[in-house]
Amino acid sequence: MKGMNGLRRYHWMVGILLLALLLTGCKTGHEFIKGTEFKDDDKIVVVFAGPVEETWATNVSNFSAYEKPDPDIKLQITEATLGPDQTTLTVTFGAPLNQGEAHILTMTNIISEGQDMGSVTVTVQKLYFGVLMTVLLGAALIQNFVFTKYLGLCVFFGTSQRRDTAIGMGVVFTIVIVFAAMMAWALYQFVLKPYQLTFLNIVVFIGLVSLSVQGVDTILRKVNPTLFKAFGVYLVLVIANCIAIAVPLMLADNEYNGWESLMLALGAGVGFLLALFLMACVRERLELANVPPSFRGLPIAFVTAGLFALAFLGFSGLSIY
Amino acid sequence: MKEIIKITFALTISCVVAASAMGLTYTLTAKAKKHNHHMNVQNAMLDLLGYGEDNPAPSDLEFMRIYRYIIDEDGKKIMGYMVPVEKNGDVNYEMILLDLEYNFINKFDVPISPEEAQEVHDRAKALEQVFAPNQSFSYADAAVVAVAGGKRVGYVLPGQFPGFRTFIHALVAMDPSFELLGLEVMEHEEDAGLGAEIEEDYFKNQFVGVTYDKLKTLEVVKKPLPEEYKKYLEREQLKEGALTKEQIDEIRKKYKNADIYAITASTISSKAVTDGVKNVAKKFAYRINKLDDVLDKQNIEIAF
Amino acid sequence: MSTTTKSYGQLFMDGILKENPIFKLALSMCPAVGISTSVMNGILLGTAVLFVQVFSSCTISLVRNYIHPKIRIPTYTLTIATWVTVIDLVLAAYVPVAYKAMGMFVRLIVAFAIITMRLEMFACKEPLGKSFVDGVGMGLGFMVGMVTLGVVRELLGSGELLGYDILGFQPLLFFILPSAGFFVVGLMMGFFNWIEVKYNRRKEG
Repeated sequence: MKGMNGLRRYHWMVGILLLALLLTGCKTGHEFIKGTEFKDDDKIVVVFAGPVEETWATNVSNFSAYEKPDPDIKLQITEATLGPDQTTLTVTFGAPLNQGEAHILTMTNIISEGQDMGSVTVTVQKLYFGVLMTVLLGAALIQNFVFTKYLGLCVFFGTSQRRDTAIGMGVVFTIVIVFAAMMAWALYQFVLKPYQLTFLNIVVFIGLVSLSVQGVDTILRKVNPTLFKAFGVYLVLVIANCIAIAVPLMLADNEYNGWESLMLALGAGVGFLLALFLMACVRERLELANVPPSFRGLPIAFVTAGLFALAFLGFSGLSIY
Repeated sequence: MKEIIKITFALTISCVVAASAMGLTYTLTAKAKKHNHHMNVQNAMLDLLGYGEDNPAPSDLEFMRIYRYIIDEDGKKIMGYMVPVEKNGDVNYEMILLDLEYNFINKFDVPISPEEAQEVHDRAKALEQVFAPNQSFSYADAAVVAVAGGKRVGYVLPGQFPGFRTFIHALVAMDPSFELLGLEVMEHEEDAGLGAEIEEDYFKNQFVGVTYDKLKTLEVVKKPLPEEYKKYLEREQLKEGALTKEQIDEIRKKYKNADIYAITASTISSKAVTDGVKNVAKKFAYRINKLDDVLDKQNIEIAF
Repeated sequence: MSTTTKSYGQLFMDGILKENPIFKLALSMCPAVGISTSVMNGILLGTAVLFVQVFSSCTISLVRNYIHPKIRIPTYTLTIATWVTVIDLVLAAYVPVAYKAMGMFVRLIVAFAIITMRLEMFACKEPLGKSFVDGVGMGLGFMVGMVTLGVVRELLGSGELLGYDILGFQPLLFFILPSAGFFVVGLMMGFFNWIEVKYNRRKEG
């Protein structure tokens, strides 16, 4: 497992990535508002940096809210209460909120300690980090590309015989797919869509995958020859992997933005690596088991994959945010 | 060096040839594709409104389309409705600008024919000539009003909402009193045998006849579908044991405002569709009422 | 300048039996597992693959003397991608119902190893006639494989064949679920192997 040691050096990149993601979820936009969030299915909670007047806080006419894409539909507010610490305000709505959408809440003339703090408009939404994690876990587990979407099978069965080949293929694939997906997203958003060239999607995306393979090949050769010796041979196989073209096609179809595309690609790669690793563990043992002659090799591997696919069905309802 | 030039040359030629082949196919097939899509939607709409072989549509039935836009003018948000108006017997489009409280701001003609207006890109091009440079517009959604004999027969709303897998595209039909006339699922990527059952009559038809009041509190229940209700919902397909007219009326009355029975093992898909239908219908009813008020006060001769 | 001695007939039958892409060469298994849920799907995707395979083989065979060896693979990929786009657009325009049933798999044809491999091993060396037949054989072999799987899964899963109710009830919903694809393919492969072993044994003894 010499390859894994080389990878340990890149932990800092992962750390920075996570930090960046966390920051995207923390913006509030105004110094006096410490935070906002959804509560139950029909409430919004606002936490202030300082105490606010009770009479102001319980007056419903000081607030108005709408769902971001529908600024003309004002949501009905039935009640507003202030917590005992005088900094937590709970606004209750007449109907359950559609929490998948961002909500814009306007509070006019906030009165705190005798002073008029002015009017503030805040955006209340589920942490974007949550959305990103959903895409990531979706691609890796709930809609695992191998076991739920049956893509990348040729390569899957070819490289899952031993654990180190499996890990090698999985890691290389993840790197290539992340590069290719980001380039595909950029090209799609800035070139293909605006100029109505979407019928060139297939060709362009497969071209990008080839380019990424070539790119990773060259970079790896120069930067880390040891890593290249361990993993280089799997690069060519990435082109024949259906997942490599499925990911760009998916992010174009679903109109994902940059971060979501990155999550999709990462999830696809991680899911593939996971599938390969699990399969390899089983196949190594199958080699020593007493399999009927007609079934040795691929047939029994397929049956095993079927069992894994059944198991992965268990992830279907998983939702974290 | 010569090697590289030869290779680059060969690759460029191949790419050009390939691109032209694809471009040619695209131009040839694009029209047919649009036409197919259009016919599909048209047939689905007629079906939803209740017209078919035994109830042919009136000869003067027309589909009028309203396009909703959100305009941003220096940070201020304005609602823009592109509506068909009657002018000397012809139907033209006008863009009506309203503020967020639905007070009238302005209106101007949009130089586009109803056929061209059905394409997003053509609409955008025409609107660019009509709006001021500091007004940036974005398309929100569309609504179709079915008109016959000078009266509104029904509304058909194309909507898209998140399902279990990805988005579900559906058409929701309502009569002028906002009672649901039906639901047709146009596109989805749900699982076969599970979420894909939303296309089946026994699920779709549960939405027929739900009144607007019930719609606001419509829920999904995880109980098995009663046998008699299932027969009623699938009565168009029944070969033997067809229901009598009295039985049909009786069952319809009994389940008129029942909640939606979820599809076995697909509660998430069932909920997604129910919530999606609720949202689309509620928002449209709110908007069309306010829009009608404003258009009435301004004495605008709308073609619907 | 053909390098193979096989006749047209042999080439054709090989594609269907001895070198069947799904059961023998174990290539292009993604669709085999994924959408062999009904016979109709099998026929439709089989036709699409047949089309792409035949046209790509012919195109490459026609220009085989002009392809620079260093850009072999990009040229194959470009050819396949072009034909896939063409059939994607044509299907979407003229047979939208079928197109919807096949979903993303039509566009994924571009990644099918089977086609690239066929071009690499055959079309770039053989004249037009032989490449054409080989392409047809392979394409049909793929279709045969898909249809066989489709028959098993549709019959056992929804009791229908080509949409017609045969059994009148749904034996096991399991068979049209994704995971069953793996099982059925694996079992059929084992079955094919077993038949071949028996056949060889009978030939010898």
